[in-house]
Amino acid sequence: MSAPVELEANRVAGFRTRLLVATMIVISSVTLLGLYFGERSLASNVEADLRREFQAELTALREARALRHAGLVERCRTLVRRARIQSAFEDDALDLLYPSAENELRDIMASPVDPASNGPPRGLHAQFYRFLGRDGAVIATPNSRAVGSLTVTEAAQIALPALSAAPQTGFLTRDTASPEPEVFEIISMPILSTDTAEPIAALVLGFEPFAVGQREAGTGMKNGVLVRGRLHSPALPPASEALLAREVKENQTAPVRVELDGVPHLLFAERLNPGSLYAPALEVCVFPLGDLATRQARLRWQVLGAGVLLLLVGFGGSHVVSARLAAPVEKLAVDSEANRTQLVRAEAALEMTSAELQRSARFSADASHQLKTPVTVLRAGLEELLTKDNLTPEECAEISALIHQTYRLSSLIEDLLLLSRMDAGRLKLAIAPVNLSRLIEASLDDLGALPDEYELKIETDFPPDLHVAGEKRYTAMVLQNLLENARKYNRRGGLIRLFASVEGGVVRLVIGNSGRPIAPETQARIFERFHRGVMGENLPGYGLGLNLARELARLHQGDLRLLRSDENLTEFEVAFRQSPPPSVPPL
Amino acid sequence: MILRCLLPFAVAALPALAATIEGRVALPKARAIPVVNQRYEIVAKAGVLSTNPPVAIVYLEGAFPRPTVPPAAQIVQKDLTFLPSLLPVQVGTRVEFPNQDDAFHNIFSFSPAKRFDLGRYRADERPMPAQIFDTAGLVTLRCDVHEHMRALILVLDTPHFVITAPDGTFRLTGLPAGRHTLKAWIDSKQTKARPVVLDDASAIRVDFP
Repeated sequence: MSAPVELEANRVAGFRTRLLVATMIVISSVTLLGLYFGERSLASNVEADLRREFQAELTALREARALRHAGLVERCRTLVRRARIQSAFEDDALDLLYPSAENELRDIMASPVDPASNGPPRGLHAQFYRFLGRDGAVIATPNSRAVGSLTVTEAAQIALPALSAAPQTGFLTRDTASPEPEVFEIISMPILSTDTAEPIAALVLGFEPFAVGQREAGTGMKNGVLVRGRLHSPALPPASEALLAREVKENQTAPVRVELDGVPHLLFAERLNPGSLYAPALEVCVFPLGDLATRQARLRWQVLGAGVLLLLVGFGGSHVVSARLAAPVEKLAVDSEANRTQLVRAEAALEMTSAELQRSARFSADASHQLKTPVTVLRAGLEELLTKDNLTPEECAEISALIHQTYRLSSLIEDLLLLSRMDAGRLKLAIAPVNLSRLIEASLDDLGALPDEYELKIETDFPPDLHVAGEKRYTAMVLQNLLENARKYNRRGGLIRLFASVEGGVVRLVIGNSGRPIAPETQARIFERFHRGVMGENLPGYGLGLNLARELARLHQGDLRLLRSDENLTEFEVAFRQSPPPSVPPL
Repeated sequence: MILRCLLPFAVAALPALAATIEGRVALPKARAIPVVNQRYEIVAKAGVLSTNPPVAIVYLEGAFPRPTVPPAAQIVQKDLTFLPSLLPVQVGTRVEFPNQDDAFHNIFSFSPAKRFDLGRYRADERPMPAQIFDTAGLVTLRCDVHEHMRALILVLDTPHFVITAPDGTFRLTGLPAGRHTLKAWIDSKQTKARPVVLDDASAIRVDFP
């Protein structure tokens, strides 16, 4: 018993484990997929955010620079409109140009005394200025102290190939003692003739460039000016400057990723003086992406942590779910196993019983069959013996009694044979309408033909032409058995009562006798095979009649039962199915 | 107006018998429709200074004695303009620059004929800022404060000069007899000349086509 249950428990545990594993796999894959996409989306969001920050900062920077530039240009424009400067050119008084300009430009020139004073930012003050003649060349100044000194090469940088009516922006680089050269933003403002509006000269002012290297932004941005193939940014080492200059040369103004000192940077470049006659200059801004990597790493860890937590929760959940799902299955499995065990046992028992039954039936059949022939031979011998003439009357009586015994023996063997066939289920009835009324009459006639030592009185009450469904010889056998019993167990001068009735398609035939009543404790056993009543020891019979009758009645889908047994009457009731009379009466 | 007042004064010093020249100078076309209150403003085109509407200065060139008493003239600054905007003067004339505006003015000239800078001054500034123009030539006046203000002073080595009417007609009177050259200054780059022979009390007609 315990081994299969244990086996079943193992199988159920296996099922639960498989369920758990499957749930875990599903949860894990869903979580991992979610994590993968979530991480990717978040990482790209972080990058986009950072780029937006860069763009915002860059835009702010460029707007501020444009604003400053516009302010400076406007200031220069006002300066070149000054009457004295205009007059110096228009009235052919170049000798008065620089002396007049010294006065006119005093405000815009940075104070050479205290550059770190509290005044306005130095970026809004010019470091030097020069006038360009009609040919774009620098007009020499007698006193360079007031106008800011420039070397010959520097002066060449501010000269223009030709005058333009529009302001020009450029950058001047000045080599210094330090490795990092100075950079100046130069604005060339044309001096327009009041008559023709054509440029007759130009004023060139040099300013400190906007925010180059001075800016310490929140994003860690660094910027510089790329002019004449060289990047100038005090915030960057020369190697980085060279690298960035190369990158910008290759990619122009497209934003690119570059590696500076092993840290990825995002590089933005923009032309500072589009369309200028001066050498092209680009503003170069680099944003460190190290922060991005840090942020992304942090995010990744957070996502991973959340994922692990989710997985743990999922595993716990799947464990609970699989346990709950497995519980009814487990119960079902145990139950079915128990049922199966019972079934197997029941089947085994049934088989055993069936085999015993078959054995006993076969035994009965074999025994009866084997007995039948010797009895017939015995009777024939006895009958032959009786025909002899030299027998005394006593001897004749003795032989006749023996012959009678052989008949009983034959009858018994027939009954046994019939019973065994019924037990084996081999008795097949040929069901047909049987006229019970006639059968009763015939049986009563037979009864009347028997030597009447009891002086019995017979009462009958049955409808004529009562038909039942059955096989005639077996129906008659039931009837004869009952009537024989009623006669056999009656008392002298007793009564046999027989009446039949029809009720709901069932024909009930009650046969009663006025013999001694059957004791209540034996009433239940009278239908058992080989049972005989206590009072009938001296009566012929083997206790097979009632059993046989009942079996036959039941085979006819009817029944036989003891209706009552008291001092007055012992009644048996046999029930048959009613049958309509045959259309053609049997011949 | 002031010019007209000055002219008889200039001529009065000459001998009673004098010749007269009448004529007409062909003037360039006015740049725009002249405004009702006709002031002369100095305009420049291609580096050439002239008035608008255009007028010319006709003068008789020759060897004339210098005036013993320096003549005087005025250019007023009023409503942020110079009045008159074109002034012919004889060499040695003292020109005063009264400021009749409420604002400061700062008249200066970078012209080779006369360089000066009066500095900033107001209406009540005394003594009246003035300059003596002792070199012949064209002087461009500017105001350092108001960049648009412009005036021309044509310093001539002769007492005989007149500004034409806007239609170009002129009349010079009280002219000494003799062979002279009559010139018409049209703008800073254009001066036409004609030799004339004058008799006493003669009246001739000279046109500058």
